[in-house]
Amino acid sequence: MNSNLSDPAFWSRFQFGFTVIYHYLFPQLTMGLAWFLVFWKWRALRTGDERYNAAARFWAKIFAVNFAIGVVTGIPMEFQFGTNWAGFSRYAGGVIGQTLAMEGMFAFFLESAFIGAFIWGEKRLGPRFHFLAAVGVALGSWLSGYFILVTNAFMQHPVGYKVGADGLLGISTLSAYLLNAWAWVEFAHNQMAALVTGSFVVAAVGALYALRQMHPNQSQLYLRAGTCVGLLASLLVAFPTGDQQAKMVGRHQPVTLAAMEGRFEGGSMAGVAMIGQPNVAARRLDNPIEVPGALSFLAYGTFQSYVHGLNEYPADAWPDNIELLYYSFHLMITLGTLFILLMACASYQNWRGRLESKTWLLWVLMLAFPFPYIANTVGWMTAELGRQPWLVYGLFHTNDGYSKVVSSGNTIFTLIGFIGLYFVLGLLFLLLVGREIAHGPEGETGIESRADVITAETKEHVV
Amino acid sequence: MIATWYAIVSLMLIVYVVLDGRNFGAGMLQGVVAKTSEERRQVIAAIGPLWSWHEVWLVGFGGTLLAVFPKLMASAFAGYYLALFLILWCLILRGVSIEVGGHINDRLWQGFWDFVFVVSNFVLAILFGAAAGNLARGVPLDANGDFSMALFTNFNVRGHVGLLDWYTVSIAIFTAVLLAAHGATYLVLKTEGAVHQRSATYARYLWTAVVPLFAAISLESWVVRPELPGEAIYNPICWLGVLIVIAATTTLISGLRTGCELRAFLASTFLLAGLLITGGAAIFPVMLHSTLSPQDSLTAYAVAANHKSLLIASIWWPIGFALATVYFIFVSRRYAGKVSVNRDNQGFY
Repeated sequence: MNSNLSDPAFWSRFQFGFTVIYHYLFPQLTMGLAWFLVFWKWRALRTGDERYNAAARFWAKIFAVNFAIGVVTGIPMEFQFGTNWAGFSRYAGGVIGQTLAMEGMFAFFLESAFIGAFIWGEKRLGPRFHFLAAVGVALGSWLSGYFILVTNAFMQHPVGYKVGADGLLGISTLSAYLLNAWAWVEFAHNQMAALVTGSFVVAAVGALYALRQMHPNQSQLYLRAGTCVGLLASLLVAFPTGDQQAKMVGRHQPVTLAAMEGRFEGGSMAGVAMIGQPNVAARRLDNPIEVPGALSFLAYGTFQSYVHGLNEYPADAWPDNIELLYYSFHLMITLGTLFILLMACASYQNWRGRLESKTWLLWVLMLAFPFPYIANTVGWMTAELGRQPWLVYGLFHTNDGYSKVVSSGNTIFTLIGFIGLYFVLGLLFLLLVGREIAHGPEGETGIESRADVITAETKEHVV
Repeated sequence: MIATWYAIVSLMLIVYVVLDGRNFGAGMLQGVVAKTSEERRQVIAAIGPLWSWHEVWLVGFGGTLLAVFPKLMASAFAGYYLALFLILWCLILRGVSIEVGGHINDRLWQGFWDFVFVVSNFVLAILFGAAAGNLARGVPLDANGDFSMALFTNFNVRGHVGLLDWYTVSIAIFTAVLLAAHGATYLVLKTEGAVHQRSATYARYLWTAVVPLFAAISLESWVVRPELPGEAIYNPICWLGVLIVIAATTTLISGLRTGCELRAFLASTFLLAGLLITGGAAIFPVMLHSTLSPQDSLTAYAVAANHKSLLIASIWWPIGFALATVYFIFVSRRYAGKVSVNRDNQGFY
């Protein structure tokens, strides 16, 4: 594709990419944090230990701010299918519209009905229903993720469709579409990645309080849950889910796999580059340091497996930004490996009961929280850049999908608007979450927080 | 089948408009019905935790439109490009002002977000009104089913029209007044004290203002689309809409007179729904009327997805709608009654 700056397709792609990357910073924490809230509410219900309720209450506040920004930045995503991608909507709307509508009907209604109840309704609902509200929110957020991933999986690996007489796509088998094998693998991989983000954030706040020697009971809870879930999710995101995802790409998008690895020559015993810069003009990887055979093994199961090279395909079938795709993929796997090492180390110290006294490790945990966000982002960039030049893989080119009637002038105008607005939203988010974290969870002891509840209840009576 | 889906998609839009319309209205009036910071919190609390639940109806509408009328979504959304993004930005600002305004107990902070809240609600009411006007008047569709519309051209209603012209602006003003009246009626129901009193006064004034404006836009609509009333007379759904409007108007008047707040609010909701049903039925089967040449207009039959896709959507949609109704009952029960700032405010500590 022509990535010239005067090309209207470029600006529609840039706007969608910018708004969706920004948007997804919030849902990944929503989906990751939701099950921590469920876990703490469940522990509180089972043990009656007020510390768990305090933890849930504290994280619910951060969850609420995060959720609100996720909602407001999410609505433009659905609308951009029509505004900027009219060609795509016309072509595939009969298929992808099904899941986008289902997301609203089945997931968002559930989620948004219970979020208010969960955040403001603890006193009104009582412990059991408050726990159920948390489950409702968590299920809603994961269900919405599933519908979106089915939509994306269709773009990566279209199934269950039929081309109509007018050349447009319609759905033919709902079950095939909803149960797309690609969607299941992608969903598992993505949800584990969201849990990694959630657990790193929880652990980072725990580490912050531990280093400041504040809220010792709460910080211990956060560190314990954060490192334990963090290790499990970091392992699962790599194996089996990431591994299966790579095999899926190797099977259905071999040219993408070659581009992800910057491989121009096909061959067996294909290696994974640890370091190297793709030089597309010269058709080689500069300064490569490779683990021999690793790619053959990871993608196809044996070291002798043949891995295709880009030279086997015409250049117009290549993803249109091989460099960015290559770096995205390598950044993701490097970070993923580091996450496992960090969380294994932290979990080991935690198991020995020494995590709180390992200052250096707490510092690393505290500062590590942005990296899962980066890993999630570059992971999605790998998936979406790798899909190019197709919008629906093998069926429909990205260049045919954008709105021909919308001028670059209009798209750049709205892009500038989004950049300004989202910058302000980012500042607001940091300010408000920063205040909540600085203020910290309520009462360290059970007695204190129960007293809080009682005062609040008396106030309500007086009013 | 296609007519049914037209009705379903319209229904989702109508539910969104009556639910979020009251928020737009209440939000617009926040500056005049609430004088103190405490009172402004009261107005926010009346909208409070439900705005995202209301906005989901818009998302549900967008998704369903894409699934069943993909070609319409493609034409209309690309054509209304700038207007839609203005709506999206105002929705973002409105949501943010509700969520963050109560977080910091500070005069400047709350004053700023209250201002953003009022302005974004007002602009939203105007833009949705202009959008309704555009649906009635038509857009410059070409033979390919595409159009690209400027925000304004020469303010005429024929030929190469813009989003805003004398007709759509007057519809927008009518909509703003109508939604303000709806919002005032809602605030009467949900609040107590001074806000309640002032809202009741505004509700009376605004509903009175709706009457001449409605007469004016009816006349204007007849000038802009002279063929529509003649067709609507033979459409039973239009008559149903008119009946709902008449019944709702009488109930509304009696509700406001006797101080039956819930009755007045429900009547106001049905009045809005009745107006939209009448309008939606009158333009059917045309979904986008072409101001350039009527034969290029897009009908529901031309823009629908294939039969199989509609059939499949008919299986899951009722289930989703039934679930949404269950949540609706849960939500409205939970938030029934007057709001109290202490119990329902958004302040976190």
